[in-house]
Amino acid sequence: MAARLGRHHAIELWLGHLRRTPLLLFLILYTVVTGGPFLWVAMMSIRTTPEIFNDPYGLPVPAHWGKFADAWTISKYGTYFWNSLIVVGCAVALLTIIGSMAAHCLARYRFRGSRFVRVAILSGMILPPQLLILSLFQILLQFGLYNSLPGLIIAYVSTQLAMTVYILEGFFAQLPQDLFDAARMDGYSEFEIFWRITLPIGMPAVFTTIILNFIILWNEFLYAIVLLTDDDKRTLPLGIMHFMGAHQLDVGMIATGLMISIAPVILMYAFFSDILIKGMTAGAVR
Amino acid sequence: MSVEITRTQPNPAPAGASIVGSRQASRATIAAFLGPALVIYAGFIFYPVLRTFYNSLHSVGPMNVTTFVGAQNFTQILTHDHTFWRAVGNTVTFTLIGTVLDVLGGLLLALCLFARAPFARLLRVVWFTPVLMSYVVVGIIWVWLYDYDWGLINTILRWLGLGALEQSWLGDPHTALWAVLVTHLWKWLGFNMIICLAALYALPEEVLGAAELDACGWFAKLVYIIIPMLRPTLINLLVLSFIGKMMLFDLVWIMTDGGPLWATETVSTYVYKRAFNWNTFDLGYPSAIAVLWSAMIVAFVVLMTRLLRQRDRLEF
Repeated sequence: MAARLGRHHAIELWLGHLRRTPLLLFLILYTVVTGGPFLWVAMMSIRTTPEIFNDPYGLPVPAHWGKFADAWTISKYGTYFWNSLIVVGCAVALLTIIGSMAAHCLARYRFRGSRFVRVAILSGMILPPQLLILSLFQILLQFGLYNSLPGLIIAYVSTQLAMTVYILEGFFAQLPQDLFDAARMDGYSEFEIFWRITLPIGMPAVFTTIILNFIILWNEFLYAIVLLTDDDKRTLPLGIMHFMGAHQLDVGMIATGLMISIAPVILMYAFFSDILIKGMTAGAVR
Repeated sequence: MSVEITRTQPNPAPAGASIVGSRQASRATIAAFLGPALVIYAGFIFYPVLRTFYNSLHSVGPMNVTTFVGAQNFTQILTHDHTFWRAVGNTVTFTLIGTVLDVLGGLLLALCLFARAPFARLLRVVWFTPVLMSYVVVGIIWVWLYDYDWGLINTILRWLGLGALEQSWLGDPHTALWAVLVTHLWKWLGFNMIICLAALYALPEEVLGAAELDACGWFAKLVYIIIPMLRPTLINLLVLSFIGKMMLFDLVWIMTDGGPLWATETVSTYVYKRAFNWNTFDLGYPSAIAVLWSAMIVAFVVLMTRLLRQRDRLEF
């Protein structure tokens, strides 16, 4: 009797598994579909183009790590990488300073027109880039900033400012007012309050915007392609596109370039995946 | 008007906790904190947008030689520009189908993970990876996957003995737009999935538990409980996805350049081409397209949120 019950139970369990099998298969399939292409590019990045054309989906044996050195110098990916790093680094630094100052002001003080200023700045989040880009091109041309890294930095700061202020203000506004009242009674100046209270306590939000802005701008393509023309000034996405245009068939070298452009993002994602996911989704769930 | 309201509003901080005037600051302080942001905003957002509107009514040649042409750009676009209408057709098709698939797909993926899938945390991280990759990376990878000779898709078809179905996916005007759409979905599904998942975890457990007690099937639970309760989130996702697709530029530019035969031309790529690639040397005409299209997007978004949100008043 007990044995029969046990067997019955086993069948139930097995049926349960069977019912879940399509789900499991789907999970595995979708994971392969999303992760697979990156593994494929990673393997191609250390294989030579003749090897790839011989067998596009083969394993990287032997591994040609030297391709990264070639990509860096001969294919100019090093130049593109530094351009990207300079532009993104400066833009993120400026955004963090300017954005957190504005967010602190909007979250902390009540003043005439504060509501108007908030709406005006945040409206930049839903602004279609096409409305901006043609005349931004004209304006930067007039100021002699067209086809220069500072010009692109300005464009990036202005387009990402709204999102930065939005995330920071939301967080800063939740800090208890008592903290600031106490600081005032201790004789802190307004700037000290910002520097020694808002920023340190608001660090999680500041950090989120830094990572988020870094990745968004690292990947940016539209503004870069409109505002830069010199090969020596190209950022990484433009550089790869340019290389692809000139060497359509050198799949191996393009893959190495893609890996160079993916690497910083993957590195950040590996360490801060939760912060990144939360940041990317901030504001969509409300 | 809004200034008046701001001033007379009671302090939202807990009563008694705040000192009178603790949220006041001198004009100089506020100017110092807000100044840089306002300068950037005024100079590089507000002014360019105004200038785009101004340009749309003018013909803007090289060296900024500007002549007033009134509404001529707009009438030209609306009545004579066949490429523009082709681009509108492509963009609207792409957007309508893509938006629905985007949100539905994201919801389904989220439900898979919500149904206590094994390794849910790891899967979440892997599925989100394409969202973080640049369009250049995603576009080039998919150009290779779609390649006629050695691309994975045709390789699999041949391996399955379905060689008759093999295609030059991006080279055929009939399939190019759909091929780009698949790539776009592949990149963004993870984003929708994450947001749906967050909303699912925020659902009150009592309701789902009660449904289970009532022996509610999973499909009924999905249609009658989960989707209505996720409604605000789903609407947000629809709007976000809609706006993103109406402005589609990068992926098309990288994968097909608008070709073959304008099959993937979108409004944004057309604006770019008219401004910088065609030797028309006129920034006024593309500005007019940008103004027209932005107005369309705003109108659509307002309409969509009105239509969908009205029923939000229902409490469940």
